[in-house]
Amino acid sequence: MQPKSKILVIDDEEVVLDSCTQVLAVGDCQVTTTNNGAHGLKLVGEIQPDLIFLDLKMPGLSGFEVLGRIREQFPLMVVIVITGYATVSSATEAMKKGAFDFLPKPFTPEELRLITQRGLEHSRLVQQAVALQREKEILRENFAAIVSHELKAPLGAIQQNLYALTEELAGQLSDDQKDRLTRLKTRLDDLLKLVHSWLRVFSVDINKLKETFQPVAVADVVAKAVDTVQPHALRKAIEIASSVADPLPRVNGDEGSLIEVLVNLLGNAVKYSFPNNTVRVHAEAQSPQVRISVTDTGVGVAKEDLPHLFQDFGRGQAQPAGVAGCGLGLAISRRIVEVHGGAVAVESEPGRGSTFTILLPAMPSAPEANTTPERKV
Amino acid sequence: MSEAKRLLMIDDDPDFVAGIKAILVKAKYEVDVAYNPKDGLQALKSKNYDLLLLDVMMGRGAEGIMIARKLGKDPKLRDLPVLIITGIREQMAFLFPGQAVHPHFVPVDELVEKPVEPKLLLEKVEALLKTAETRKAQSP
Repeated sequence: MQPKSKILVIDDEEVVLDSCTQVLAVGDCQVTTTNNGAHGLKLVGEIQPDLIFLDLKMPGLSGFEVLGRIREQFPLMVVIVITGYATVSSATEAMKKGAFDFLPKPFTPEELRLITQRGLEHSRLVQQAVALQREKEILRENFAAIVSHELKAPLGAIQQNLYALTEELAGQLSDDQKDRLTRLKTRLDDLLKLVHSWLRVFSVDINKLKETFQPVAVADVVAKAVDTVQPHALRKAIEIASSVADPLPRVNGDEGSLIEVLVNLLGNAVKYSFPNNTVRVHAEAQSPQVRISVTDTGVGVAKEDLPHLFQDFGRGQAQPAGVAGCGLGLAISRRIVEVHGGAVAVESEPGRGSTFTILLPAMPSAPEANTTPERKV
Repeated sequence: MSEAKRLLMIDDDPDFVAGIKAILVKAKYEVDVAYNPKDGLQALKSKNYDLLLLDVMMGRGAEGIMIARKLGKDPKLRDLPVLIITGIREQMAFLFPGQAVHPHFVPVDELVEKPVEPKLLLEKVEALLKTAETRKAQSP
């Protein structure tokens, strides 16, 4: 047996409450009534009705206010407004504010039954859609967790043994053999990173980052990102020059993810630079935002590639020899920045280099002390 | 020279264990291995170890976490330093590579991601052993 449909009627006229109860309580509906908006709001939370009838004109909290708050707290709730003065304008106003339909007073039992049926049907559909969406989420997350373990575990075991063998055989290997082991490890490392990137794109709901936003010092983000990329830069004899304005407003965000964005941009800059080039990272306030830019003098991006750069799997045509990548880094970066309410942009000239810019909303409060001392590499 | 430190590793992937154990043995540690949580707990109870290397995803789920929690509640075993070695970084929130992360299941613990470079592994093991020793010396 299906559970009874729960209907809440909020109206200051006893007569309306009584007639609604009489008409609807027969059959499979459970009707709750109240004569004021504030109590009505409380009941919405308590009984989680499938359908709400709401009078627009009530003393105290007005119907419009109640409607506004219901939509705010329970965006999927199906609300039908009862309008006493049967004016089209207040009814349309209510519909604009999210009401599903309106019922002009006075109404016949037949009209009430009909509109109730329609409202409940709509409510069922909404609830089904939500349930399906949730099921999809769960499937996606489980899939990601399984894939993550099944793919990464064997790769990790292989890599771990390559590490161990390198140690155990130290002193016994020729330079060529050592070199091949190093290349094997690099290839595996790239593969592990690729699996990780895929999982980031397809499994993690990036909006969840918002739940743990904290004030972040941009100078720290820059310093940590530079630290991470530094070994790669050294290998290509590329200098990373960073300058961070002090003081600089903080940004509200997730430090780890912001570092990831900057590591992506700096990593690209190094990857597409020529040996002995300098990559510049600069952060400054550009009220009301904080602007972080990464500039390289490398291969640059062709004009026709620019629009696709921040899309999934989008990569420019100009690929220097030996550069590997999956084209997900910038797409992930864009998503992370957008979750922070910011934007990424790129300017580039083929053969001259590129500048990637991140704009993040600055926090209004006290400026950060520049916590990072000068770094020498 | 003092006696070799004795480590226990609990991990259900024999190949991964081999890759870790070889590095530790070369660095003169004594390493015992348990390939499932049950044997691991048994070993912890029957022998004295200086450090535990613990995998998270074993058996039907995050059974490594259950072991860590059990240790935290055990008055004798809670002082054992634990290095959690895990491949499920994305599920432990967005951890950042290279950053020391303290899961705090027991007083002295840390987390590294699979695979672990030999240098990092030995550094972490040494640091945890040292921290645990300092703590022991300070307690009454």
